[in-house]
Amino acid sequence: MPKVPAGVVRQSEIAEAVAEVERSLAPDVAHIRYEIATDWSGDWAIYFRVVLSDEASQQRLRDIATKVVGRLADRLDFQALDLFPYHHFRNESEQAVLRDAAWA
Amino acid sequence: MAFAEDLLNDAHHLAARGGKSPRQSSLRRGVSTAYYALFHLLIADFVVNWKTKDQRARLGRMFEHRKMSQAIFRFKSGTLNPVEADLQTVIAAFAQLQDDRYTADYDVGTIWSRTDIASTLAIAEAFVAWRRIRKEKIAQDHLMTMFGARRA
Repeated sequence: MPKVPAGVVRQSEIAEAVAEVERSLAPDVAHIRYEIATDWSGDWAIYFRVVLSDEASQQRLRDIATKVVGRLADRLDFQALDLFPYHHFRNESEQAVLRDAAWA
Repeated sequence: MAFAEDLLNDAHHLAARGGKSPRQSSLRRGVSTAYYALFHLLIADFVVNWKTKDQRARLGRMFEHRKMSQAIFRFKSGTLNPVEADLQTVIAAFAQLQDDRYTADYDVGTIWSRTDIASTLAIAEAFVAWRRIRKEKIAQDHLMTMFGARRA
């Protein structure tokens, strides 16, 4: 396990940035959850789980996904946080069926 | 190059299977195949530089997934030029697809949705960015680093 990244001790900064991105992209973005963990290669990473409105995911997925990724990168210096960002998306209807606690 | 494109088409086909009730197996195979499409695209553009054609497949098999994703490129601060921006897109796409592929292949607890697969396939369109820059020195240098060579 590599050393603990700066991102682990700067959680409030991350939470604030994520909430800001969430607000700025509403209602296309319903909410964003995240988790700091190691990735497949053992490096520290931050996993974003983004729940989109059905309309945005079905009509403008590429556009809204690009915006989410870009705005998170603008607000958070992942290199300074020692975290590699990964992004996953689903829409509200899918989440309603899957009822995945990690995405709720 | 045709093999990589076939794989990307296969990934789209797998992701579209099953209508409104896709099977997790199809979605997982779609993610995995999208990763391998980009993987083979990059390898093909590296080994084509090797003069002896019948040795290219062996050379390609020397690539290691871990080394490829850990090939660091330090972009200068400030605005990137178009070639650097494309390379950054490809590097980020490769890293995300590789992690997605690992999850899809080995983590049976993760449930994939149609939306997630669609965004994964959009990432795989880094194909387009790569095609624009594949002959640029910066791109060829990065392939060398992915192969395992130290940066000059």
